[in-house]
Amino acid sequence: MLFNSFEFLIFFPIVFTIYWVLNKDLTKQNLLLLLSSYIFYAWWDWRFLSLIIISSFIDFRAGIKIFASKTKRERKKWLIVSLVANLGFLSIFKYYNFFAESFSDLMNRFGWQPNDLTLNIILPVGISFYTFQTLSYSIDIYRKQFKPTYNVVSFFTYVSFFPQLVAGPIERASNLLPQIEKKRIFKKEWFNAGVIQILIGLFRKIVIADNIAGYVDTIYADVSLYNSSTILLATVLYAFQIYFDFAGYSDIAIGTAKLLGFKFNQNFNLPYFSKSLTEFWRKWHISLSFWLRDYLYISLGGNRKGIKITYRNLMLTMLLGGLWHGANWTFLFWGGIHGVVLSLEKFLKSIRFSNKFKTVDFLGYPLTFGIVIFSWIFFRSQDLNSAFVAIKKIFQFNFSAPFIGDINLITNSILVLSIGLIFDLYLFNKNLSLENLGAKFSLLKIVIVSCIVIMLINLFYSSSNNFIYFQF
Amino acid sequence: MNLKNIEYIVKTITLVLIFTYLTDKVVFFSLNKISDKVFTGQSIGKLNHYIVLKDSLDFVVFGSSRANRNLNPEIISKNSFNMGADGRKLSFAATLIKILPRKKEQTVLLHIDPEKAYLKNYKGDDIQVLGTKYHRNPLIKNEIDKLEQADRFQKFYWSLGYNRTVLGIIKNYLHPNYNYKNYSGFDPIFVTENQKNIFKNILKNEASVKCENVFVINEIYKNYLSELKLFCDQNNKKLILFTSPKYNDQCKEDNLKFSQTMENMGLTYLDMTDYFKKNNLFEYWKDKIHLSNYGAEIFTEEFKQLLIEIK
Repeated sequence: MLFNSFEFLIFFPIVFTIYWVLNKDLTKQNLLLLLSSYIFYAWWDWRFLSLIIISSFIDFRAGIKIFASKTKRERKKWLIVSLVANLGFLSIFKYYNFFAESFSDLMNRFGWQPNDLTLNIILPVGISFYTFQTLSYSIDIYRKQFKPTYNVVSFFTYVSFFPQLVAGPIERASNLLPQIEKKRIFKKEWFNAGVIQILIGLFRKIVIADNIAGYVDTIYADVSLYNSSTILLATVLYAFQIYFDFAGYSDIAIGTAKLLGFKFNQNFNLPYFSKSLTEFWRKWHISLSFWLRDYLYISLGGNRKGIKITYRNLMLTMLLGGLWHGANWTFLFWGGIHGVVLSLEKFLKSIRFSNKFKTVDFLGYPLTFGIVIFSWIFFRSQDLNSAFVAIKKIFQFNFSAPFIGDINLITNSILVLSIGLIFDLYLFNKNLSLENLGAKFSLLKIVIVSCIVIMLINLFYSSSNNFIYFQF
Repeated sequence: MNLKNIEYIVKTITLVLIFTYLTDKVVFFSLNKISDKVFTGQSIGKLNHYIVLKDSLDFVVFGSSRANRNLNPEIISKNSFNMGADGRKLSFAATLIKILPRKKEQTVLLHIDPEKAYLKNYKGDDIQVLGTKYHRNPLIKNEIDKLEQADRFQKFYWSLGYNRTVLGIIKNYLHPNYNYKNYSGFDPIFVTENQKNIFKNILKNEASVKCENVFVINEIYKNYLSELKLFCDQNNKKLILFTSPKYNDQCKEDNLKFSQTMENMGLTYLDMTDYFKKNNLFEYWKDKIHLSNYGAEIFTEEFKQLLIEIK
């Protein structure tokens, strides 16, 4: 079920009403959350529910076993069970065809043509998200940073909780599970903040991102047809499309959870207002970047094993982070670019390079934005060849008038994008967080803001596309 | 949850609904006022222009960009209008034909692409562009509802009909592109050098096309064609269906089957797909389906003779 669908508009008020009616009985309330989460997921494809259930069951048992193990060896054994099961599902469903195709391509280069090794596999929606979520649970218990739950309903609800099930934020057990096991209290401030965040999230997604998508999709369908300015314009617009698409999704998820009395962590914090790529990753898809830091980078040794190992760890983390987004060489390149620049920033920091340029450090904003935009070319392109064609075309410096296409589409896109950027600039300048924006609003202010946002949605929304991050 | 909180939630939701409902109506009626004065631009202006003219016309062309770009109605009749527009298919055209005046003698020329008529998944979504008239014209409302193409919330939020047209309306209200009084709806293509080069490249790399061999006419097409025949027969209108020229149509079977179907339905159909086949010049074309201004003039002249013969 999509957040921006009519089905969700019927589904959520029903869940919300029954949920708060059951407020006196925590078990029944959690059972309702579990059932509604499964309905939410099954709306897409009920067959893949079994994967979530199996994954939940394995990690529920593994968590208890790791905690109860007397020896380090036994603890490790149960952690491996969890890792193999979760990463096994992920590998089969997400990466099998990629590796099979890459293997065939490699063999072709040596003149050997193996039979078609690929399988007809559907990628289950949200598998990357809930796999990382369950893994963090097992690893935290293994590291003795978290105690397992013995309540099967709580754990299964934690894995499948519908606001964040299909595209995050990737909530750690240490944040979400205690909230599931504790009685929730309805707070007016949370209700206000949730409503405002959902509406702004909807605006970001179906008005800004989906309008821009029309132009970007046209250009990226065949970049070889367009001049430098057109591809550059499409890439800059894509940077905003993906930001507003995913930040919008996260806003709706966080706002929905808030209406049910849950507090998720912030997932986006105005990432394009960053002076370095390091800062960018503290603000972009925060739940993933911190996951990669805590469970991959640190597990590899982080920066504790000398400078060379630190660079290696950074590169590996970003390459795997890229691969997490999709089984395609384009994502590996995207991760690689980020890894190289992050390593470079680390090196420059180690020689105190920025101290010499304190007066012009504001240049970090456009420089970081430029690097991020460049890397988006790989992220957006269908394959490596298209990405290189796009880069080659841009560097031909043919900056004559860009292709505009449907004038109505492009003017609408620019108008709504401007509204979104002005709003973000306002949050940045006032140092405000969208998560708390509506909390202190009076009833009248809630009504007025809702009215303005709903009118803007009615007049400018574009027919709904899937959320970009659903494919990951 | 205590009673106070329930009261707060109900109050908030009710107030949001009431306020948005009222604001929506203010926005809707304001946009109506503005858009009624707009007669230029493809999204609203051309439609308004047609609605104003339709009762006085004796010759009207409907269809997609191939109708719009390839046929100059003024060559055929001084009292004419070309209501073809980019991306439009039958549901849009049929609805506009149905609002033509009863009993007035008129010739209705409707462009049909057989390829589109055989599309399985055509749902009539091109009718959505008539959404601005949803709450203003019962016939249009009825057609949109029949095809289930109205936005689910349109009965509550009327301004949804103006979705993504506001900027165009304001722009054309403040600064019309052309004098609509001299506009016949025909938008000729004056081919640029760049377009010529692109077309040359396309022709150079032309591959053979895999033709369909199953021909089941889309239900929406079938129903609309029957309804249009009835409407035109009852209201003193001559309905002529046609297909405009293609540069090199590799699939012939669909045209033949479609011709047969039209004959069986008792409809007049002129298949002009291969009109330029014997005497084809590169200068006649912008691309494989759109004629240049030059090609359109020649085609229209020939079409005029055909119409005289039919009459």
